[in-house]
Amino acid sequence: VTLSEGARAGTGRELGMLDSLLSLGGLVLLRDSVEWEGRSLLKALVKKSALCGEQVHILGCEVSEEEFREGFDSNINNRLVYHDFFRDPLNWSKTEEALPGGPLGALRAICKRTDPGPVTIALDSLSWLLLHLPCTTLCQALHAVSHQDSCPGDSSPVGKVSVLGLLHEELHGPGPVGALSSLAQTEVTLGGTKGQASAHILCRRPRQRPTDQTQWFSILPDFSLDLQEGPSVESQPCSDPHIPPVDPTTHLTFNLHLSKKEREARDSLILPFQFSSEKQQALLRPRPGQATSHIFYEPDAYDDLDQEDPDDDLDI
Amino acid sequence: MAAVATCGSGAGSPGSAVATASKSNVTSFQRRGPRASGTNDSGPRLVSIAGTRPSVRNGQLLVSTGLPALDQLLGGGLAIGTVLLIEEDKYNIYSPLLFKCFLAEGIVNGHTLLVASAKEDPANILQELPAPLLDDNSKKEFDEDVYNHKTPESNIKMKIAWRYQLLPKMEQIGPVSSRFGHYYDASKRIPQELIEASNWHGFFLPEKISSTLKVEPWSLTPGYIKLLQFIQNIIYEEGFDGSNPQKKQRNVLRIGIQNLGSPLWGDDICCAENGSNSHSLTKFLYVLRGLLRTSLSACIITMPTHLIQNKAIIARVTNLSDIVIGLESFIGSERETNPLYKDYHGLIHIRQIPRLNNLICDESDVKDLAFKLKRKLFTIEWVQDNYLRQERNIYPPGFSYLLKQKDSAWGEGSLQHSTFLMSFLAKATAFASRLVRHSEPLKQTGSGRIHQAAGPRLWHDGRRQEAPGLLGIPL
Repeated sequence: VTLSEGARAGTGRELGMLDSLLSLGGLVLLRDSVEWEGRSLLKALVKKSALCGEQVHILGCEVSEEEFREGFDSNINNRLVYHDFFRDPLNWSKTEEALPGGPLGALRAICKRTDPGPVTIALDSLSWLLLHLPCTTLCQALHAVSHQDSCPGDSSPVGKVSVLGLLHEELHGPGPVGALSSLAQTEVTLGGTKGQASAHILCRRPRQRPTDQTQWFSILPDFSLDLQEGPSVESQPCSDPHIPPVDPTTHLTFNLHLSKKEREARDSLILPFQFSSEKQQALLRPRPGQATSHIFYEPDAYDDLDQEDPDDDLDI
Repeated sequence: MAAVATCGSGAGSPGSAVATASKSNVTSFQRRGPRASGTNDSGPRLVSIAGTRPSVRNGQLLVSTGLPALDQLLGGGLAIGTVLLIEEDKYNIYSPLLFKCFLAEGIVNGHTLLVASAKEDPANILQELPAPLLDDNSKKEFDEDVYNHKTPESNIKMKIAWRYQLLPKMEQIGPVSSRFGHYYDASKRIPQELIEASNWHGFFLPEKISSTLKVEPWSLTPGYIKLLQFIQNIIYEEGFDGSNPQKKQRNVLRIGIQNLGSPLWGDDICCAENGSNSHSLTKFLYVLRGLLRTSLSACIITMPTHLIQNKAIIARVTNLSDIVIGLESFIGSERETNPLYKDYHGLIHIRQIPRLNNLICDESDVKDLAFKLKRKLFTIEWVQDNYLRQERNIYPPGFSYLLKQKDSAWGEGSLQHSTFLMSFLAKATAFASRLVRHSEPLKQTGSGRIHQAAGPRLWHDGRRQEAPGLLGIPL
């Protein structure tokens, strides 16, 4: 716990959002890109869940097992259950140790396990799976795995399952990415500025508003997570400092506020379209002197004052 | 005449028409008496099923959607034999509520339910239905809830725009017939005994499909085929299409399909723009509508249209459904901070209303509808300062600041407001017409910049182009 975390005790829940990603369960989508890679964050989360005593299964498809295990201590390496699909993805060597059914078969086998306890499954990577499997099959398998614990009618009490999936955003169109993010409980998008990485975490709880938060972090060489404050906020360049903000209410030629008397007068004013009883009486009562009305007209220079009807000249 | 009178009174007893005809020989027209409900007679009778009522406009038999405000917008309710399609909001928070209100209405009225989902077990969905508000006491207390939550600004009666207050309110808190349209409390669950007393069928896709079958490109995905077969079986076995003469009272089947078109159903229209099965969903809707039209059933479907990649499919799906309602929530969009929408959680767009035995459709005139989910109740309202929003789009920024001041002399209903409005509108229309006359393509005049004459700039689409000179705001 760094000093910054201790100082902001009131917002401790927010700071710990990156820490508590795994405790929510379900599918956690790590979206990375070329500039901000996500495998180190994936390994940091794997290490954290291994240290918590959970079962950790890794489906390694994109990098070799040695590369993935690099940087982990031996006690963590002993806890990881690694399913290697990198060396022999199509199972050409036909050894017995290869799981039937490919990566999805391995996922389903992990589902069918009977021992209770929380399980974390790390998919390295979801992009590889999307490129090799139809998207709908993958979505159905992920949904089956991540929602296994939410059925109350299950006979065997199975622990909570978290699935961490690494997704390279730039490899896929908006369709598969949108489909997977609608399935995911948590979505972590990696970004950052000027050498500091940030994670934008969007948490979708069912039937509640999604909460999002941006967390600055860095990964230490031993793959532990270091939460940080953001980079120092610079002054906004849009507002010019040497022109003071103008208060538009000064130097006005008209009245902006009403005095109490004026407000009362305004409220008591009867608008022309409001029909009240006084108005009705006024209209019904014949006004004195209304019988005759005068029109005063001053003839123009061009006016013709001839009283005859000009249509009389027509011979039809 | 006296003989006819005795005939009329004699028909009140549950005797047959033959007996009364033998009593008097004056006329052969006999009044039929009330029959026992068990007999199957071929005489013309109004189908009186619980929870339905005939539409006064086009004679269709209507069922309630579960939200009386929505019923009013749709012209009375959902017609039997039609499909109500709800386009889900982005984070799928509010569309499940409409779905559940529809199902809860079915349970309260005693209709048969058919719930199909690929995401959740239908038994779980039924456990989470909202509780109905059946007695008057609870209805009174949430009436007060409604009124207490109104902001003070909305209570100011409009003085100049007084005609807007005469528009009908969406919520008919007044007397609602207890047989059609109930209110639901979103914070409570439906009592367990109501669920157990109801007759429901569930379709959960992962249980029905065990293996991945090979799919030909021209046929429906296996999930859809199974669902259609399931619906057809239920309709046939329980006699909703009149094939088995029902001994007991006729009933309505309410079908609810959740998240249709999502990848969990095996359909890839959300994943790819030109998938291999892009006609699967449209064929499904076509066959489903055929099944519905020939049976006493009504269907609600929620669909994540914001994920569908090919917009042509959305257009086809809209044409194949009867009523289409889109929900747009403000979460994460820039409208969340718009002060106009601060009381609301999202907008409702009524995209299509069917023309059933009509030449015109029964659309309400109100276009800007917004919804909000309070702690207990889901309400639909008209966004009230509609005209003010349209004017704010062309106001200079300083004027909006003046309008927002409390007790300002420039408030709505003041003389300054109206005169400013008139003069500004006159200038704005003149300016707009100047643009129309002077618009020439840039190529003709070379690379010169079009010199815009001095005048009030319009605040268009929220982007300030140039500040007007009204209040001396420095550039």
